Amino acid sequence: MFSFVWKWINDRWPLSPVIRWSLDEEITGGPRFVYADGSAVLIVFLLQALTGVMQIFFYVPSVDHAYNSISFLRTEIPFGWLIHGLHYWGANLMIVLIALHMLRVFIWGAYKNPRQLTWLMGVALVLITMAFSMTGAPLHWDQRGYWAGEVGSSIAATTPVVGDLAKRMLRGGEEMGPLALSRFFVVHTAILPGSLLAIFMLHFISFRRFGSVGPWDQFKRKITGAFWPEQAFKDTIAGTAIFLFMIFLTAYYPPVYSGQADTLDTSYIPKAEWNFLFLYQALKYFEGPLEPVGTVGVPAFIVSLLVLLPFIDRNPEHDPFKRPFAMLCGLVFVGAILTLTLIGYYSPGFAQAPANGPSAQVRPLPAQTPAVAPAIKEIGPAAVAEKAPEKLAGPAAAVIGSAERGAMLFKNICSSCHGQAGTGKVPNPGSEEGKVPALAPIEKSIFNKDPRLFAENIDKYIQHGSVPEGQKPALTMPAFGDSNSLTQQEIANIEAYIMGLNNVDRAAIINPGIQPRLFFWLVSGLYVLFALIIMGNTRKNNDYIDDSAQGGTKKCRQ
Amino acid sequence: MQTGPEIEHPEDTRRGFLKRLIGFIAALNGLVLGILLAKYLLGPPSAAGNKQWSRITELDSLPEGQPIEIRFQARSDEAYLHTLEIRSIWAIKKASGDVTVFSPVCTHLGCHYHWDPQTDHFECPCHASVFDVAGKVLSGPAPRSLDTLPVKTENGELFIQWERYKAGTSEKINV
Repeated sequence: MFSFVWKWINDRWPLSPVIRWSLDEEITGGPRFVYADGSAVLIVFLLQALTGVMQIFFYVPSVDHAYNSISFLRTEIPFGWLIHGLHYWGANLMIVLIALHMLRVFIWGAYKNPRQLTWLMGVALVLITMAFSMTGAPLHWDQRGYWAGEVGSSIAATTPVVGDLAKRMLRGGEEMGPLALSRFFVVHTAILPGSLLAIFMLHFISFRRFGSVGPWDQFKRKITGAFWPEQAFKDTIAGTAIFLFMIFLTAYYPPVYSGQADTLDTSYIPKAEWNFLFLYQALKYFEGPLEPVGTVGVPAFIVSLLVLLPFIDRNPEHDPFKRPFAMLCGLVFVGAILTLTLIGYYSPGFAQAPANGPSAQVRPLPAQTPAVAPAIKEIGPAAVAEKAPEKLAGPAAAVIGSAERGAMLFKNICSSCHGQAGTGKVPNPGSEEGKVPALAPIEKSIFNKDPRLFAENIDKYIQHGSVPEGQKPALTMPAFGDSNSLTQQEIANIEAYIMGLNNVDRAAIINPGIQPRLFFWLVSGLYVLFALIIMGNTRKNNDYIDDSAQGGTKKCRQ
Repeated sequence: MQTGPEIEHPEDTRRGFLKRLIGFIAALNGLVLGILLAKYLLGPPSAAGNKQWSRITELDSLPEGQPIEIRFQARSDEAYLHTLEIRSIWAIKKASGDVTVFSPVCTHLGCHYHWDPQTDHFECPCHASVFDVAGKVLSGPAPRSLDTLPVKTENGELFIQWERYKAGTSEKINV
């Protein structure tokens, strides 16, 4: 049956030759794990495509729903945490793997004649991957991504002559708003994946045309091995290990919630993503009229260097030990990028953070003497206690805030009444209790184990304020939301912090499918079990599988 | 592998083994991804609990024996959308003062039906299901009576719990 279908297809379409062409490759020097670097990038990209498409099932590219739809996906969809986390870590890993792949190609001299086109396609793929990274972050519409998008497109604007047009093209207007988000979305999910696949095919075709460059050692070159199945097996092992590693990272280091995008929060110090840190740092050395040199000149210089490499270095020698000058240049290049990245990483950012957190001077802080929200004053304390119209939680209650940012806000805004870390004990003369209620631990009627309900309960107080029972309380809770003295994003951050004080994680995963860490160990166990079964079987049945005389396949049994 | 190692070249056996192994590992990866993706796409388990009583109106304002459509505002939590939403129900006060509240959704395929005062029947415009004032199916494709919603009265006011039921089944199944 199978052979019939096979023949039927092959009579009409050259399936067999295409498969043979893509799999049959003699590898000079035999298969090696180090050659799995290219395949590793491909495997991670395929995982990115899969997890990316999966996220679009829930993601909404609109400024008012983007953040919440991702939070929903991560906390309430079974394995949503995994899909999102794999995509996040895959994005980071892909850049690392590409860097390693480029480095190996450079050391092996694989960009040299006749492989220049393979290298050029590779450079294009690097740029596309960087564009993926640039356009992916803003899709969260969180603080981290929003500012990455803002700064990224502003950098484009510094290009001489066409800068402003470039920025408008990227943002769909002047501001980072709904139109910008749509553009980032289309570019990230349609244009870039299409371009990457197309150029990858060209990269692959040109690679297969001349094959692997092989070891530089003449003795080792005498051995040969096949891509299928020897190298493919090593690639499979490497790919599986990377997949497992990505699950590990997702389970143990989930992406941080940086809070919903908030242009008013001036305390947030935007910093480039790690893979752009070298450009970010280089930018700092060019000020005033020289700025375009940093924003456009440096990246253009680096790209030109990469593009021109196979034409500048025409020495046919492959052995890195016989190319000391090229190796030195490579070392300087990599060293410069690493150094700039490290300096950028440890630098405090363009604008120094105010010493005591958020900029207290611009925010109307509730002073020691309470600023009671007008609405509450009119009703009066008694009316509030007796029959207040039911007040519903505001938008902030549905937002998973950043507890870390909430801690800073709390320190500046809330702690004067509610005490350090919400421990209370601040006297409130004239109130029935005599002191401001503590928030850690919080009153039982407000507490809820479900983070969504807990947030709603706290939110009613922060949005609408409250007046404690008693004759004439000196301190009342201002209506931070109703009076617009805090943004909804800030309220969400404070809520996340207060919930954290009560040992409830605002970002707790409600429907995990399987708990992240347990899932990692289950999958690991499954792979180990599988490996043990295979090894047990081979030991019993054959001895000659270990026979590696024909090629470098000593590790084939792992 | 066990059947004929003596006629196969060792190299072929090794390669065959590797090919099978690649297949196994790929299948294992596919299995891990496949199961979790299926669970992922099935979405979250239906949200149980968090049922709130919504105040509808004062009992006195309801006409006796005559169905009336009432709109009310309630908080809606659907996926990542948390909004205030206008919903509608059909309420009928009996002579005894008891109130029956029907979900406005036809049990056939989920259309919204209306009351025809000429015939004293509920009629669904989509596929012409007809129900009597008690919600019983008189004709048409509807598989069950109209769905009643949980009701309570407190201090002369009517409260209901908003629920949705599966359309098209003869059993009333909460979703």
